[in-house]
Amino acid sequence: MRWSELRRNVSDAWRGMFYLRYEQDLQREAIELNDLFMLMVYMEIVGLPNPVTLYLLELYPHLLSEFHLWHRRMGVDRSPLANFRCC
Amino acid sequence: MLADKNRRAAQRLLDKRILFFGGKGGVGKTTCSAAVALAASRSGRKVLLVSTDPAHSTSDIFERPFAREAREILPNLFGLEIDADFEAARYVADVKDQVAKMFSPAIVGAATRQIDLAASMPGVGDIALFDRLTRIIAARDSAYDLVVFDTAPTGHTVRLLQMPELLRTWIDALAVQRRQAVARDRDRRQAADGVPDDEPDAIVVALERRRDRLEQVRARLIDRADTSFVLVLVPERLPIEETARAAAALSDAGIAIGAVVVNRVLPDGLEGEFYASRRRQEAVYRTEIDTRFAALDRIVIAQLESDVYGVSRLERISAQIFG
Repeated sequence: MRWSELRRNVSDAWRGMFYLRYEQDLQREAIELNDLFMLMVYMEIVGLPNPVTLYLLELYPHLLSEFHLWHRRMGVDRSPLANFRCC
Repeated sequence: MLADKNRRAAQRLLDKRILFFGGKGGVGKTTCSAAVALAASRSGRKVLLVSTDPAHSTSDIFERPFAREAREILPNLFGLEIDADFEAARYVADVKDQVAKMFSPAIVGAATRQIDLAASMPGVGDIALFDRLTRIIAARDSAYDLVVFDTAPTGHTVRLLQMPELLRTWIDALAVQRRQAVARDRDRRQAADGVPDDEPDAIVVALERRRDRLEQVRARLIDRADTSFVLVLVPERLPIEETARAAAALSDAGIAIGAVVVNRVLPDGLEGEFYASRRRQEAVYRTEIDTRFAALDRIVIAQLESDVYGVSRLERISAQIFG
């Protein structure tokens, strides 16, 4: 292995680590932002009245998979309401 | 003189496209809105009279049933009674229909359960009522020259008219939050595989569409050339105070007040101590009304010798309003 090759490999690895960190940061931030969004959509699940509930019904099917991940991440294994049976 | 003032104020109301009638319970909102709607329809305008008051006295006053869909009651006069629970059920059924068309059965099943649960929450009826109202208000190619709303007592109605602004703020906050989350997720994916993603997010699209519609409704409500609120009161202490509060709330919301209707004023030419005493008290309140609502058109309607129901008595009220 020549010096220049080694240097490129080290720099690639360095850049890779940097990008991995960057990617993880972005992912964490995206999840946190979306968690707050999900809370704003599903406020009544935690017992808070939501004035726009009726206008959010049309969003529910789009959000089903995210809803599942969300309530798991919130530390609730099963869907928080018994009759919700999301999983 | 009085008849002249009434006529001029009433004519200005007829230039509008949308009129809301509101006031304290029992002051004669239904009577006044029905009388104005009747007169407008007689003058050749195609009129829709909408009752949003759960008490639904409109059908009683015309002695004809009103339906949940507009129906012709008299020539050129169409009537409609909005029922909040029915509208909520209909809205939910429509959403489910849409969902069933767009998604796979597994998603439909789970989404339907979520929708049913959310739709059972308190307060949903209010938005459903509001939504039905907005469809009538925002209809671009309305089939009617004039839409007259006979509303529930003041507080409820003022809240209803403030709703577009309140709901728009909420929806906007949701859209902003979602947009940020989506943008961050896109940055991540682009960092990972270097491919930019410009596919619009279905949620953001739906929220923005809803927000735009709410903005249209709000624009229509504050369009002073087309939309007016008519405050009905009787010359008594409590209605005067409530009317003053409503007037303040409406101008805060940017909604024009078309006129103040002073209803059930004592007629002239009666005798007796009881009448004289009543009349003296009324004079005090009428002076107060004239001072406190000096900036607004006032329409004065004298009491009839009997209560008002049926088209022929309604015509006598119309005649007083339009002189």
